[in-house]
Amino acid sequence: MQLTYKFQLLLFFLFGFVTLTNAQNNTISGKVTTYDGTPLAAAIVTITNSGKSVLTNSNGLYFFENVTEIKSIKVTFSGYESTKITVSKAQIGTVLPDIKLVPEMKELEEVVISGSYADKRKKEESLNLEIVSQSYIQRNLGGSLMQSLQRIPGVKTISIGSGSSKPLIRGLSFNQVVVVENGLKHEGQQWGADHGLEIDQYNVSRVEIIKGPSSFMFGSDAIGGAVNILPAPLPKLHAFGGNIDFTGKSNNAQIGGSFNLYGRNHNWFFDSRITAMDYADYRVPTDKVQVYNFTVPLYKNHLRNTAGQELDFHTSTGYVSDKFKSIFHISNVNSKSGFFANAHGLEPRNVDNELHDSSNRDILMPYQQVNHFKISNTTSFKIHNHKLETKLGFQNNFRREWSQYVNHGYMPPIYPEDMYAPENLERQYDKNTFLFSVKDEFELGRHQITIGANAETQENKIGGWGFLIPAFNQFNTGLFVHDKVQLKDDWMINGALRFDYGKINVKQYTDWFPSEVEIDDQITEQYLDRAENFSRAFSSFNWSIGTNYNPGKLALKTNVGTGFRMPIAKELASNGVNYHYYRYERGNPDLDPERSYQFDFGIEWKEQKWSVELTPFYNYFPNYIYLNPTAEHDLYYGAGNQVFKYEQSEVNRYGTELQLRYQFAYNLTAEVLAEYLYTVQLSGAKEGYTLPFSPPASVLTGITYNPEIKNLKDTYLTLDYRYTAEQNRIVPPEKMTPASHVFNLVAGTKFKVGKEDINLSLQVQNLFNTRYLNHTSFYRLIELPETGRNFIVSVKIPFSISKSN
Amino acid sequence: MRKKLLLSTAFALTLFTFSCSSDNENIDTEYPVIDISGADAFPIQCSEITRGQKLIFKARFTDNAALGSYSLDIHHNFDHHTHSTEVSNCSTDANKQAVKPLLYLKSVNIPEGLKSYDAVQEIDIPVHIDPGDYHFLIKLTDKEGWQSLKGLSIKIK
Repeated sequence: MQLTYKFQLLLFFLFGFVTLTNAQNNTISGKVTTYDGTPLAAAIVTITNSGKSVLTNSNGLYFFENVTEIKSIKVTFSGYESTKITVSKAQIGTVLPDIKLVPEMKELEEVVISGSYADKRKKEESLNLEIVSQSYIQRNLGGSLMQSLQRIPGVKTISIGSGSSKPLIRGLSFNQVVVVENGLKHEGQQWGADHGLEIDQYNVSRVEIIKGPSSFMFGSDAIGGAVNILPAPLPKLHAFGGNIDFTGKSNNAQIGGSFNLYGRNHNWFFDSRITAMDYADYRVPTDKVQVYNFTVPLYKNHLRNTAGQELDFHTSTGYVSDKFKSIFHISNVNSKSGFFANAHGLEPRNVDNELHDSSNRDILMPYQQVNHFKISNTTSFKIHNHKLETKLGFQNNFRREWSQYVNHGYMPPIYPEDMYAPENLERQYDKNTFLFSVKDEFELGRHQITIGANAETQENKIGGWGFLIPAFNQFNTGLFVHDKVQLKDDWMINGALRFDYGKINVKQYTDWFPSEVEIDDQITEQYLDRAENFSRAFSSFNWSIGTNYNPGKLALKTNVGTGFRMPIAKELASNGVNYHYYRYERGNPDLDPERSYQFDFGIEWKEQKWSVELTPFYNYFPNYIYLNPTAEHDLYYGAGNQVFKYEQSEVNRYGTELQLRYQFAYNLTAEVLAEYLYTVQLSGAKEGYTLPFSPPASVLTGITYNPEIKNLKDTYLTLDYRYTAEQNRIVPPEKMTPASHVFNLVAGTKFKVGKEDINLSLQVQNLFNTRYLNHTSFYRLIELPETGRNFIVSVKIPFSISKSN
Repeated sequence: MRKKLLLSTAFALTLFTFSCSSDNENIDTEYPVIDISGADAFPIQCSEITRGQKLIFKARFTDNAALGSYSLDIHHNFDHHTHSTEVSNCSTDANKQAVKPLLYLKSVNIPEGLKSYDAVQEIDIPVHIDPGDYHFLIKLTDKEGWQSLKGLSIKIK
């Protein structure tokens, strides 16, 4: 690397020298760097009048030949403000001054960011990962954070309704994917498909998605991958300003927005946000739906009772200096959203279509209310060579599901007056989590070592008349060491070891109603115990080792590692009817921790006009925890419903993502993003079957046109066509899903009002109002088509009240 | 040159992975069938039963591979909730509050390895229960866990 750099410099100066000695030379050259001088590779440099463009090389250098006319050159690079500099004709044949790009965001944290953050991070991490910024989210804004990230190959969602979704990374979801916000694990109700992720997407400035087991970083649960929401960059020195976001959507008549205010003197800062959203029932391109064999008519294509609202608050504040930093994050995310009235409950009883259809904005039963509160502190300081960091956090997740009382099994037909829970409170989950972590980063020769430990305790209470999962307490702790070795300039090794210990105490639960039990032909009434007191302890040792090889245009990575996941309360001790599916779920207290072995490979080649990236992986689980649909029906706990039992089986998974980019002209780029996944159970009751929620193969082809329009900046127009293959590999109770063809149109621009750049983006999702099914949607089982055509407008207006001089 | 070699190796590896996806897919994806079209099948949509008598449930179950179990469920429909999987709507009484409605639950394992099974089940309809509109639910699974469902509207007089 060093050599090539020197060689390039030499060439460069030779050219420069030639320039001076040869008046005929018509070259333009220079260097693109970040504001701190780090060279930026693969930035697009364009001569505006001719449209000729080149990419910078790995040292940030660019070079044009045969330039005759020039007025200005423009530099664009994702994540940075595009910059235009005027060049006079007299400058032809010279080396232009360095062009320094400014990050798109308020200001990037100096320690975290230098150079192209995403590029650098990808090249230093041997696991496959994707990083996107706020502007990407705004461009592809969906109903929830994960829906906005679905364009990334390998990333899908399990969605319910228009406002909530869970991450699905290479076919794994729920407790197999960890979501981390500001360095702390997000602890909601990850286990259920019917509740989304309690994250405000307006408050996300940068997300890192790790497509592979990252247990060594985040402990149990990160067996399938991680969604790491990085802390927002700090406001600039002596700045005081904010942002106003406004979003409108046509399909569910959503209006929403976010107001952000930040300020900083020298050492103290604050950054606050309030987000509000209100949406009506969403529309699907069909007028009737088949819900478990019976037909439900839809009024004006509205999915009855899927309206919702959200109100979120966030504040970050703290003290920042070179050596010491202490930041508090406080947030509260609150939402209320309806369930499709005809598809919830053991029997979709009492669905008063007339009442529901009288307004599409009201939220009637059944609905859920979720409140997620978080408070945390991150303190870091430097002592000599060491960077120490402590994190302390508390979270409360409070979720209630409201639905009319429907007796089933041996429940009394009339709801007792003296019950502990209100008549319409079907279920309630209340989770308190305390988290603590500490780490030390230091350098030792070529080694960059991180040592750390973390601990988490959870208290889970339940309520409501329905029962699925007992109350439980849980404790987890882990110890890890990570070593990054810079072998040579272009070779790097990542190695990690981690030890984890976890304990879970499940609490007893007894039915509030008696069941008829037949013993020796005698029928007696008994209050059944659905869960007994028991505890389990688990420990696991994990490792990961990988290499990165980055000789210029090529970037190569391999990684092999293990992951693990402690069985969760639902898997160990659930014992009741899941009202969303008409099924009885039975836990298995003898489950072992899930283990995973994964081999990851990544290859990327970047040329001036094109790039290709391929990321295949192979994964083996000796004991995947799987909810197996059995042939049994249960009389008591299951109220005559089919029994689904947690079991473990051997699983093979493999697949790949492929990303191609080709630049036809300086303002025209094409992209192909494809993904493929194959999973198979190698043992157990469903040997030969796939895993549930296996996303089918898909190919997204996008064409982006970046026109130069006067007074506008960074204008883009993208047409995306996503072909999703059919999914015929299913497991009960799934249904085969036919192939689909969906088009999305995305456009946006920036224009100046006063000193500020106003960011406007427009989207037409499902351009042709195509009726199609999504294999991984929560409502797939009831044959519900996906959202119809949807116009989305979003505006971001930054403002500053005062700026430093 | 070395880079080209690496690139082509990677592609070859991927191709190999894809071509490896074994397609010996002899897995069962067919649902079992609840057949109540037979002459002696009972109840069917809109059947009527008198209190104090025995209801003799009769239906034929079939599957392409092997049947699993079935479950029967009788519960009141005094509030007229939608349930029926059948097309014809039966005449219903006026909505009313349940006092002592009949609740019947039964689950039966079908002997292993059968592709066809004629289910018969005697159900006592006690005298002292609320008469009116009821639902009769039949759930059937096969060995692999595929489930079919039939919801019938019946009247107890």
